[in-house]
This record gives sequence, C-alpha cells and structure tokens, in this order.
Amino acid sequence: MSGTIKYLSPEWRSEVEKLLKAELSPEKMNNISSSMSNIYRNCPDGKERYFHVKFDNGAVSSVSVGDGTPPEAEFIITGEYEVFAKISRAELGAQKALMTGKLKLKGNMVKALKLASVVDRLNKVIAKIPAEY
Amino acid sequence: MTRKLDAKDRYYIDFPKRISDIQAAMAKEKIDLYLGSRLRTLSWTLDAFCPWRSFVVIPAEGMPTAFIFVIDVARVADDTWVDEEHVRGFAPMGGQDQIEQIADFIRDNLRGGKGRVGIESGMSNYLPEGWLTHYEYEQYRDALAGSELVNAHTIVDRLALIKDAGTINRFREASRIVDEGHVAVRAAIDNSGWKGMTETEIAGIAALAMRRAGSEWEWSFTGGNEIACGYRTGLAGGACTPATRKKLAPGEPLMVDIHSMFMLGLGDHSHNYFTGSATDRQLWHAENFLKIVRATLKAYRAGITPSTLADEMMALAEEGRYSDFMVPGFEHGIGMMGDEWRIGLNDGPFPYWTNPDHVYQENEVLICAMQYACPEENVGFRYENPIVIGKSGCEELSKYPLGIEVII
Repeated sequence: MSGTIKYLSPEWRSEVEKLLKAELSPEKMNNISSSMSNIYRNCPDGKERYFHVKFDNGAVSSVSVGDGTPPEAEFIITGEYEVFAKISRAELGAQKALMTGKLKLKGNMVKALKLASVVDRLNKVIAKIPAEY
Repeated sequence: MTRKLDAKDRYYIDFPKRISDIQAAMAKEKIDLYLGSRLRTLSWTLDAFCPWRSFVVIPAEGMPTAFIFVIDVARVADDTWVDEEHVRGFAPMGGQDQIEQIADFIRDNLRGGKGRVGIESGMSNYLPEGWLTHYEYEQYRDALAGSELVNAHTIVDRLALIKDAGTINRFREASRIVDEGHVAVRAAIDNSGWKGMTETEIAGIAALAMRRAGSEWEWSFTGGNEIACGYRTGLAGGACTPATRKKLAPGEPLMVDIHSMFMLGLGDHSHNYFTGSATDRQLWHAENFLKIVRATLKAYRAGITPSTLADEMMALAEEGRYSDFMVPGFEHGIGMMGDEWRIGLNDGPFPYWTNPDHVYQENEVLICAMQYACPEENVGFRYENPIVIGKSGCEELSKYPLGIEVII
C-alpha cells in the first residue's frame, strides 16, 4: 500500500477489512460475536457518516461505511468526526474521549468493558492505514 | 452467573410474577414504564443487595433492567435472577452516566419515545430509602421531554405488603440466625464473662456467631448490632444505640439488639439483661416490661390496628403505673432489605408515616418493637421481634426465650 487513503471512503473500508482479516485471528479477537457502529458527526463535508464492523466467533463478518443510519449494532459510539480523527492519529485516547464525554457509547457497558482490550486491538490495526482526514 | 430460580427451594420467590404484577398495576394506572430507585424496590424486584445508587426500569411488558453503579454491576449480575443482558452498569462516560443512559433506555422502551413514567418520590425517616432526588428528577424530566413523570411507588408498596411463603421463610431463617447470636452473647457474658467487656465487643460476638450461622451482615442502618449498657439503655426514645466503647458495669442493664440478613430477609431481635446484680426497683421495671411485651405479642392479629393496640397496651401500662416509661409505639414496618419504615401504605393523616388506623392483614410481617425508658434511673429495655400476622394471632419468628436475666 502506498500513499494515503481518504478516511471513511470505500477504499479505506476495503483496506480495513483486508487488514482486520489478515491481522486479527478469531483467537486474537477472543472469538467474540459482536458488532459496533461508529457515528461520525460533522464530517468535513458537513454530513454524518458511519463505520460498522461485525464479528462472528472472532472472525470479521462485515465491514461497512456510509451515510445516514448505520446497520444495527450491539454498541454505538457517537462523536464528532474530528474526535474520531484525533483518536485515529493517536492524538487522543479512546478511553479519555469517552471519560470526557467527547464520545458517547450506547450499549451494555459491562459487555463493553469486557471487550475493551479487543476493541483496542482493532483500533491499533485500523490506525496502521495511512489515512487522509 | 445469573442465579436460577428454583420453585422447589423453600426460599423461592416468584420474581417474574412480581414483575408481571407490577406491570398489571402499571397498566391500570396508565403508566408506561416504572423507574424504581428505592432500595426496597430493588431488593423486591431484583433479589439482590444494591447498596450503591441503582435503578430498576420496568417496561410495560417483559424483563426489568437494572442499572447499577459500574463497580458493583458484575456482582449484582451474579446475585440476581435477572439475566446478564438486563443488568447494566453506569459510569461517568459519554452516554453511560445514569441520567443519559437510563433516559435513552426509557425512550427506546416507550412507544414513540414518550409516555407516562412512574417514579419513586416521597420522604422517610429511614435515610437510605433511595427516593429519586430532586436533582435526578429534574435531570430525567429534562432528558425525557414529552414524557410525564408521575409518582408511582404505591404500586410496589401495595404489592409488597403481604409476604409470600419464600419471603417469610427467609425471615424465619434470619431469625434463627439471630437466635444463634443471642446464644453466643449469653455464653460469653455468663460466669462473670461480662466483666471488662465493652458494647462493641458484645456486638462483635453476636456478629461472629451470626455470620458463622450464615448471616450476610448486621444490616441495620441504626448501627449494625445495637448494644447499650447502663444509662444508654434508658435514653428517651431509645431506638438507636450503635455499640460504643462503654464497658459493662455491675448492677446495670444491658440491651442486646442484634440484626442478621438472610437472602434479603431480616432478623431483628432484642434481649435484655442486668449484669452482676439488679435492685428490686430495677426488677420491678423489668417485670413491667415483660408483662407488656407478653400482652402485646398476644394482641397482634389480623383486623387490629396500630392505634387500637397502642390504646390497649398504654391502658395496661397506666394500670400498672409504668406508662410514663413506655414509648407509645409498638411496631415498625419491615420487608426485604431497604423496607424498614412505615407500616402499610402511605394513607395516613401524616404523609409517609404509619397510618394509625392501618388494619393488619394475614401474612403481613412487621417488627414488634417496644421500648421502655426511665432516664432518671438509668434503666431501659427494648424488645424487637419480627412477627407474621395471622388470623387469630401472630407467629414470633425469633424463638429466643423472652426474659430479662440477671447475669452473675
């Protein structure tokens, strides 16, 4: 892969799916079955976008990006585009963003806490993609 | 792991039925969702001890969902019959604090995101009651714009009034445990064992024995095991004596009021002694108290009211010339953990106090609670015992023999 890919574009989605499948084995994902939708408010073009990822028994089964309403997910994380971008650029920790209310989590927090480490693994893989924000 | 309910268990309570009974009452009162916050409501619906701020959301149909302070959520999920999916934690995180998360959840469970939401608002002399605070009310009202918040605690109060067999069995077991505590205290203070002992030590001896017998804690908010000796037994009113470092002394009264908890059922029994010796005057006081306790226990039955019982008993005390020393109250309410205040419903002349004309019904459980206090003579006694109201009498749950012993 060379150059940068536009964040949340179809190309970026394909790269995310490829990398997740290559780098996160079901064992590394603790064989979880879960799904998460990130909702990005105030994207640079003023739109609202989403990123959705689903795992079945630890294997990536669906990755999608788009406008409007995201697919149903066990966890929904909502925030400003710029906050997500800062997290992706490692300028802000996801946990701090949640603790300061910059991101809002909807879903069973007990389960979310149990999944925190696998989500961290997922974010680290996604952060490897050189993205243009 | 969620606890499985076993209908064959002698402590079994049909919690799903409790929830559907609440839902039926909600439907009658046109309440679309119930937001419970009181400790007694949490115990009664979840069958779990919830000492941290917690809520239970009961939708019009289906399972209740508990919202628990995050540090305790896994433990509550482990203890309750409610499945893990319906036990949520709240914490200071975006979207996860108790206002936003619960308000979101409520909206998701109301048709069109709006409706009549039952809340629990009121007052009590019992501090850890758990009423929705003014701040919480304002926050939910604003977060649930378009919904109406209505006071609905009477739904739970009414349903919780008459105890089912499983609840009564839990109270029976808690009382059996309390009796073990008394046996241990009696053995420890006997044969001059009381000499040099402090009230706190007595409290601890009882606690250890009750824990060994299976008690979960000395639940009373009035100080766990309440122990008083000497002048402290005769403090006017006298219904709160957390143990102090005061040493037991010869010729003084000793009041041992101990508390156990078994599966949220509560044991609460007081026994009284004199240490070393007692004067004739002290024994006269003791005999007065025993007479009135016996008479009171004999009087409890379905159909009587707190005021008729008090009138009858105070007349007896007047006749025996000791009415000046009797606190003119003979009971307090009790239910699963957190329910320790009013008798019956909130329908008396003074809101949120016991209605003196409440008519006792079969299978109500209350604490027969009596206090005798003579501050001028530094003497007082307390009797407490959970009782189950029957058609023609009452069942005393603690079987520890009534008496005021002089321990040499």
